[in-house]
Amino acid sequence: MAGVISGGGQWAYVIAAYALTALLTGAVLWHSWRAMAKAEKRSDALRKDRK
Amino acid sequence: MHAYANPTRFLAIAKPLTPWLLGLGLLLLLAGAFAGLAMVPGEAKQGETARILYVHVPSAWLGMGGWTSLAVAGLVQLVWRHPLSGIAARAIAVPGMLFTALCLATGSIWGKPTWGTWWEWDGRMTSMLVLLFLYAGFIALTTGDEGQRQGGSLSRGAAIYALVGAINIPIINRSVVWWNSLHQGPSITLGGSSIDGSLLWPLGLTVLGFSLLFGAIVLMRMRRIIADNRVAARLRRLADDDEGY
Repeated sequence: MAGVISGGGQWAYVIAAYALTALLTGAVLWHSWRAMAKAEKRSDALRKDRK
Repeated sequence: MHAYANPTRFLAIAKPLTPWLLGLGLLLLLAGAFAGLAMVPGEAKQGETARILYVHVPSAWLGMGGWTSLAVAGLVQLVWRHPLSGIAARAIAVPGMLFTALCLATGSIWGKPTWGTWWEWDGRMTSMLVLLFLYAGFIALTTGDEGQRQGGSLSRGAAIYALVGAINIPIINRSVVWWNSLHQGPSITLGGSSIDGSLLWPLGLTVLGFSLLFGAIVLMRMRRIIADNRVAARLRRLADDDEGY
């Protein structure tokens, strides 16, 4: 089939797929962790103020 | 089940569980990715590109599994009005969309060297793209209304949207059987696998690793929504107290 790539040239595609997955998953993980930590800190601070 | 619908009880489980899911998920994921890249041989026909399956298949599984969970949460919200079901649905949407986008992107990267094209409007790819748009629609419907809806619950419209969107899940699953497709047919079924065991075992690690990470992300996002709800409730009480004076 036209455009099919074989041999060593395939590795660039493999690395691109893994790098994209690592980058996007890492970004969502980091953002979710940061947002959770910030929100829980704010909630705890407000509860302590009330006491 | 009703007992755990209480946010305080939920947090007592979610707080210790989050770092475990995160740590174990990352460990399994790294082990599976290393095995997929360095330990297993290239596939006889597809060569090295078959290694992409170790990130592509878990992404597809989580994109579809994410929407299935979101639809179940929508149903629970509609029928039993559990306070946590709406929060869970909101928390699932972003990681679900992430893995759907990753499935499409890694599939496209796989397609170019294997089929000679980045994209084809066939049943599998198109129905997966529809799933991405469904996630985007759900996020647009639910973002920013947490404060207006008591306890982060979903509007009736958003819950029905989640249920109706679930029609697309069996369509994605059966698309390679119903229509002619560049995409290969089902490789792993209840009856067994057409992938040789020597290539299959890292997939078990990455599927489990990504699933645990997905769980950790959902728990983190649920904890964020619950904390924000508590802050909003306390601020409302403070404002009410001030008005009382």
